[in-house]
Amino acid sequence: MYKYLLCWRYLKTRYIALASVISVMLGVATMIVVNSVMAGFAHTMRDRLHGILADVVVESYDLDGFWDWRDVQSIIQKECGDLVEATAPTMETFGLLKIYLPDGQAVTRQVMVIGIRPEDRAKTGDFSEFVQDENGKLIKPGFDVPKNWQTNSPAGHLLKDTPKDDPLHDILRQQAGEQVPDRGAIVGYALATIHRPGALTDDFIAPAGSRIGLAFPKSGRKPEAAYDDYTVVGFFKSGMSEYDSMHVYVPLERLQYMRMLGDGLGAGAVNQIQVQVKPGVNINEVASRLQRVLDSRRPLYFRVATWEQKQGPLLEAVKIEQFILNVLLFLIIAVAGFGILAIFSMIVVEKTRDIGVLKALGASTGGVRGIFLSYGLALSIVGCGAGMIEGLLIVHYLNDIENLINSLTGTRVFNPDIYYFSEIPTLVEPWTVAGIVLGAIAIAVTASVWPAQRASRLHPVQALRFE
Amino acid sequence: MTKTESVTTMILPLSFKGQHIMSAHLHAVGLKKAYRKGRSLEVPVLHGVDFTIEAGEMVAIVGASGSGKSTLLHLLGLLDGPDQGHIYLNGERIDQLPDKKRDYLRNTAFGFVFQSYHLMPELTALENVMMPQLIRLSPWQWFSQKTQLKREAASWLERVGLGHRGKHKPSELSGGEMQRTAIARALAGNPQIILADEPTGNLDAESGESVMKLLRDLNRERGMTMIVVTHDLSVARQADRIVRLNQGLVESFNPGVAA
Ligand SMILES: Nc1ncnc2c1ncn2[C@@H]1O[C@H](COP(=O)(O)OP(=O)(O)OP(=O)(O)O)[C@@H](O)[C@H]1O
Ligand SMILES: [Mg+2]
Repeated sequence: MYKYLLCWRYLKTRYIALASVISVMLGVATMIVVNSVMAGFAHTMRDRLHGILADVVVESYDLDGFWDWRDVQSIIQKECGDLVEATAPTMETFGLLKIYLPDGQAVTRQVMVIGIRPEDRAKTGDFSEFVQDENGKLIKPGFDVPKNWQTNSPAGHLLKDTPKDDPLHDILRQQAGEQVPDRGAIVGYALATIHRPGALTDDFIAPAGSRIGLAFPKSGRKPEAAYDDYTVVGFFKSGMSEYDSMHVYVPLERLQYMRMLGDGLGAGAVNQIQVQVKPGVNINEVASRLQRVLDSRRPLYFRVATWEQKQGPLLEAVKIEQFILNVLLFLIIAVAGFGILAIFSMIVVEKTRDIGVLKALGASTGGVRGIFLSYGLALSIVGCGAGMIEGLLIVHYLNDIENLINSLTGTRVFNPDIYYFSEIPTLVEPWTVAGIVLGAIAIAVTASVWPAQRASRLHPVQALRFE
Repeated sequence: MTKTESVTTMILPLSFKGQHIMSAHLHAVGLKKAYRKGRSLEVPVLHGVDFTIEAGEMVAIVGASGSGKSTLLHLLGLLDGPDQGHIYLNGERIDQLPDKKRDYLRNTAFGFVFQSYHLMPELTALENVMMPQLIRLSPWQWFSQKTQLKREAASWLERVGLGHRGKHKPSELSGGEMQRTAIARALAGNPQIILADEPTGNLDAESGESVMKLLRDLNRERGMTMIVVTHDLSVARQADRIVRLNQGLVESFNPGVAA
């Protein structure tokens, strides 16, 4: 019993020891904050990635794709019909984008050209949540070009005043069609805009209604490019710069036709089928089942991957980063452990005579060790508990703290332009917090083992004579 | 030795190796002890000391400074082990017991009083007095008997004249009060023998006198067996018997003669 009484009294009277666990407290708080922020980033990023990509993607190794995609769709239905919510055929290929500036210059960019059927694609993933107009308002994904855009074009204006039987009429109509093609394209937001550091708004270089040119590979024996132009009808803004600066969505049938992979009437090839899985279904299992059945249909042609596998390196990088940070921070707590060791050794020296008395009164070696071990445990629980509360509070008020620092220093600590997040995302994972706290307690208790052992080994007579 | 009988009325808690002991009798033969420092330096202190104390007896150990009085007391109280020689408590050899049993005997059979009191500074006087029981009992036993044990400890404090100081920390007590608290602590464990190492050494004459009177009275009233180490002949004279340590050996004589 005396162990707990003494341990309790030491706890209440020895503030220097409390100071020694402040470092543990700070370490725990830092670890909780860092992990919560990283988990928040990873989580938000995964969310976004997952939103853009469908759960499972069936694709051909060949860029030119497969014509029998309706059969593949029905195979998917047959194999996993009860697990699959929707499928969408798409055609993805690299290409070049030309943006024509008002001054006659043009900007060229490397892009990913994706042919989709908007209704189908909207059913797989959160695609429809990322398509917006020039003002940032969400619009229904589609490629229809409003009729008045063509009539409002320079040629369109002239056309209005030109009688039908005028020889110019046909030429003007053709020019209006060239100035505002009747095929729409949804362009990545970062492709269509230029962001100047410090500017509040982004400048559109390819506003809605403007014409863009696209070049992409044609199918055939010789590598050849096809050329096509489109009218910008919407912008794709997912928050993942990797996509927003690469993706250009165009009508699937048109892309098939231009790549000489479709007749323009419905028959054509695709090189991807996006598969949306029902909620709660294990996507890895669906992927491996589809891979098996498609392999048996056509070996070494299809590749089935979950969205996580497709984004493997990125997610892996975040994981590794988090792991390394945790190792470093735990080392900091380990350093704090040595502080505890030093202060505990001091306390043991200071208590030498008391230890002698305790032994004279019959306290056992184990009992004396127990005093200091439970003291170490109590201190570390106090320190880690305080650290946990502090960490959770910081996480909870992180964005308020950030705002405060911003207003104090006049700089933005967390620049939403860079990160695409309006505020710092956080996610508190209870198991991570528990792991951090238990790990820190273990370190602190370990640090008190040696002083406790030394105290328990003191010879009673020498301890009593100690001055 | 006439008091030996009266002692048997006391309740002694010790049941040692299954055998109930109603009277304590401590006996040491041929105790040798030398302190070693390094490989070469050796300080011989005791050269073969024989010592006996009967139940209910009060013995004073005197001797020059450095003659080994404290050393002898530590050996008798199992705080240290002799190089040679045997110690018997009620006929049982105790100097070779394993650590656990030695701890148990220190807790139950012996009560120590030191020159510099050695109270725990973090605990109140009452808690200091309860220390032997706190060490003896597990938390469960403690909580189930708490009120009774507190009452007992308080009555010991009462007995040493400090009933009203129970809530005070040692730093708030005078030397004499601290020493009386230490005596109450030694008594609270219901020991068979009190071992006091210069209990009046740090006190002025008056408080020393009151502490000695307390010990004397306890010896008379309860037949408490006591070994008191002292410099002070006036203190020693109050004992039943005086043992003088001289050059590592003992001579024993009656207090009357010592003058
Ligand atoms: N740990 C030790 N190492 C070496 N010598 C020691 C040690 N402890 C005690 N001594 C020596 O043993 C001798 C006896 O010491 P002890 O404390 O028993 O004497 P004492 O009779 O109690 O003296 P005092 O009356 O001053 O208290 C002394 O000479 C002391 O120097
Ligand atoms: Mg001494």
